[in-house]
Amino acid sequence: MITREVKKSKMNDNKVVEIKNLIKSYGAKDFQTTVLKGIDLTIYKNDFIAIMGPSGSGKTTLLNILSTIDKPTQGMVTLDGHDVTHISNRELAKLRKDKIGFVFQDYNLLDTMTLQDNIALPLALDGAPAKKILDRTRELAAAFGLEAQLRKYPYQLSGGQKQRGAVCRALITEPEIIFADEPTGALDSRAGKDLLHCLCRVNESGQATILMVTHDPHCASYAKDVYLLSDGMMKCRISRGSDRKEFYSRIIDLQTSIGGDFA
Amino acid sequence: MSVFRLAFMNFRNSFRSYLSLVLSLAFTILILFNFQNLIYSGPFAVLGGHNKQYIDMLVETVSVVLGCFMFFFLWYATNVFLTRRKREIGIYIFMGMSNRKIGRLYVIEISLVGVTALAAGIGSGALLGGLFQMIMGAVSDIAVDVRFGVSWKAVNVTGVSFLAMYFFFALKGYWNITHSSVLSMISAARQNEYVRMPKTVLSAKAALGAAVLSAGYYLANKGGRQSMLNNALLAVVLVIAGVYLLFGGLIPLALQTLSANKHFLYRGQRCLWVNQMVFRMRKNYRTYAMVCIVGICSVTALATGFAMKERYHNIVRFDNQYTFQLLTNQSGLGEKASALIGGAGDIACQTSLAALSLDADHLVLKYSEVKRVAQERGERFDLSEPADDETVYLSYQMLMSLIVHEQPVPVMIGGKAYLVTRTVRDAYIGYMQREMGCFYVVSDSEYERLKEQGTTLYIHNYKLADDMDFAAARAAVDTLISNTDENFTARVAVDPFDNDTDWIKALHSLCIFMFLVFVVACGCIMFMKLYNDSFEEKERYLVLRKLGIPSGTISASIAQELLSAYMLPFAVIAVSAYFSVHALGRMMYTSLFSIYVVSTLAVFAVFVLCYMLSVAVYRKNVL
Repeated sequence: MITREVKKSKMNDNKVVEIKNLIKSYGAKDFQTTVLKGIDLTIYKNDFIAIMGPSGSGKTTLLNILSTIDKPTQGMVTLDGHDVTHISNRELAKLRKDKIGFVFQDYNLLDTMTLQDNIALPLALDGAPAKKILDRTRELAAAFGLEAQLRKYPYQLSGGQKQRGAVCRALITEPEIIFADEPTGALDSRAGKDLLHCLCRVNESGQATILMVTHDPHCASYAKDVYLLSDGMMKCRISRGSDRKEFYSRIIDLQTSIGGDFA
Repeated sequence: MSVFRLAFMNFRNSFRSYLSLVLSLAFTILILFNFQNLIYSGPFAVLGGHNKQYIDMLVETVSVVLGCFMFFFLWYATNVFLTRRKREIGIYIFMGMSNRKIGRLYVIEISLVGVTALAAGIGSGALLGGLFQMIMGAVSDIAVDVRFGVSWKAVNVTGVSFLAMYFFFALKGYWNITHSSVLSMISAARQNEYVRMPKTVLSAKAALGAAVLSAGYYLANKGGRQSMLNNALLAVVLVIAGVYLLFGGLIPLALQTLSANKHFLYRGQRCLWVNQMVFRMRKNYRTYAMVCIVGICSVTALATGFAMKERYHNIVRFDNQYTFQLLTNQSGLGEKASALIGGAGDIACQTSLAALSLDADHLVLKYSEVKRVAQERGERFDLSEPADDETVYLSYQMLMSLIVHEQPVPVMIGGKAYLVTRTVRDAYIGYMQREMGCFYVVSDSEYERLKEQGTTLYIHNYKLADDMDFAAARAAVDTLISNTDENFTARVAVDPFDNDTDWIKALHSLCIFMFLVFVVACGCIMFMKLYNDSFEEKERYLVLRKLGIPSGTISASIAQELLSAYMLPFAVIAVSAYFSVHALGRMMYTSLFSIYVVSTLAVFAVFVLCYMLSVAVYRKNVL
């Protein structure tokens, strides 16, 4: 009993994101559409969570709220202990800058700068010493197999290299959590697999807590836990265990049982 | 849907993004129209005589310069427009439109832009024409007959000139589109703008640019009796080429070096704006170079304007040093003339001195006499006494001269060679100095030696206290004029109401307007470029915001980038204009440094204004 309480307390200390009764509605008073209908979710340090769901289930809305780009209609969202629904825009911007890393489907690397500068940008803007930025950039590039590409511009890189670069950029500030929106959506299967291996590696080495939104069961199978979102509600959660292939089969089964368009 | 309807819809829907182009074109039309209106509605007719003739000539010259400027401006503006439209209308290829049809669509769209600009330019020109003439008159400080009407001839000349040039470039665009490959049309938006040149090539280009520019500066300031005009023309060509090479080589090289130095780059927003500048340099360096050249013209035009005003006042002061001057071989005529003039009005000052006539072309003055006369008149006198084989030439205030030879030259006076060690432009002997142009000052001992060889003449100078007494005094003095074998008396009378040099004041105001045209053009070009850039950069800034970069940081980066965009050309303008104004000063025999500083500060003020406006618009568009 005592052991269980200690474990729970430790878990609470490691909470990165906590969502309680999250509701999001759009539209005018009498014509409201409720996209999220009371979501509860807690993300702990070193979690690797995938959120799946059919089109229109509210995945992107949930990600936008979690990443503080959008605000909920009701409910509470805490990020690293800060209630993001009740803080000023300035504090939100700071929170986004310091605590969150983003990975987008379309990479969003700046084509005006080299890969090295793209990766270094968040730290440079944060006023970190140049030496620290250079060391960290090289370290991440080495971890993601991008050392040879650092001097190249995005138009000179493959999709996979660009996305790995985007992950490096997201990791450079050592954020509390990384939000990845369909990170493999624009990649071929080989590049997608490479990227997911990289994500797993940084997660397993304790460098990153990841929340990933995806419609791809193969991609989701790399996560530790998969949440299924349907019609604005969390329908269920399944955990990977040790066998990824078996986990993939379970995700497929779950998808089939839920139905809907997952494309 | 017909091509015309589609073009019209495009024009209507994208009007906001075309606004900067329409306004810039309308502005150039407005200026050209107002100058044409000055020629054809004749507000300067009241000045009469050669003043009117000179001013018309000046205005026509300025109109030609403006026409040339308009040509290059249209070239630039239509190129920018074509690049932008190419990116958008390239999509029509997927709708099955042929290149010819897309070309027609482009011509119609650009025609709508041109016609709107023409209507706006001529309309505002007609409204502001009277004001323009009034300002011209006020700045020139000359009376003009302000006419608020519009000269149809001015409308025709402006309209035809503009449309001829404009449609030439529209057809050039049509040809470009019809001869473009499908791939180049659809990939226009993704063209890489990075200057991909090896460092060695960039370094060579930068070194060549610096050398060419330095050669231009050197030639602009090199003296020489006959070569000044040739040097000046060559200097203009070299400075233009040098500025292009500088921006094509040195600036990309410097920026690329900075961006490669990560210890410099990774400090705050530098990572953003330095990279942004490096990336866009290929397209922008020509714009910067063009802005620089127009900016140098603007500083030079303003400096010329100020210098003209200063020169006008100096000429008037020089010429009006004395109201009457007598040159005679009769001693004792001074008292008689003094009595006659004094009878007509009070004399404020009178001086007399002797001169030696040794040959037909030279009159020799005694150093101590000239000094005495200058001091009596309250004139600055800083001449040291020449040696016995030296002389000082008394010249006059001139508008400008292409001969800037200041080296001592020999002159033969009365069979002896003297070295002219200095040329003085102070009015020691007033208007007579300009009129005769043959006065040389020698040392007292040399004068005494020469005295026996020549004939002594007497110069008497009188300044009336009241200009209103001029006519009566002149009638009195005229009774003294004689020219017989035994004696002669020549008279110089300077009418204080004479306005023969008023055209210089018009030149002054024209220069100021040229400055305004050039500096506003600089502002327009920079503003138009940055306005267009802001549309292209929108997505990039959206990415930054998605990454959680605070808008304050993005704003600061924009401010830095735009500051560099304005200050880079300004720095080159400031340096180059120093040499051009210095060369101008040499031609005008005066130091224009303070005028250079004021003119450069004026350009700086306009740049700061445009910068602030650009930052506000840029932020509004991308944030």
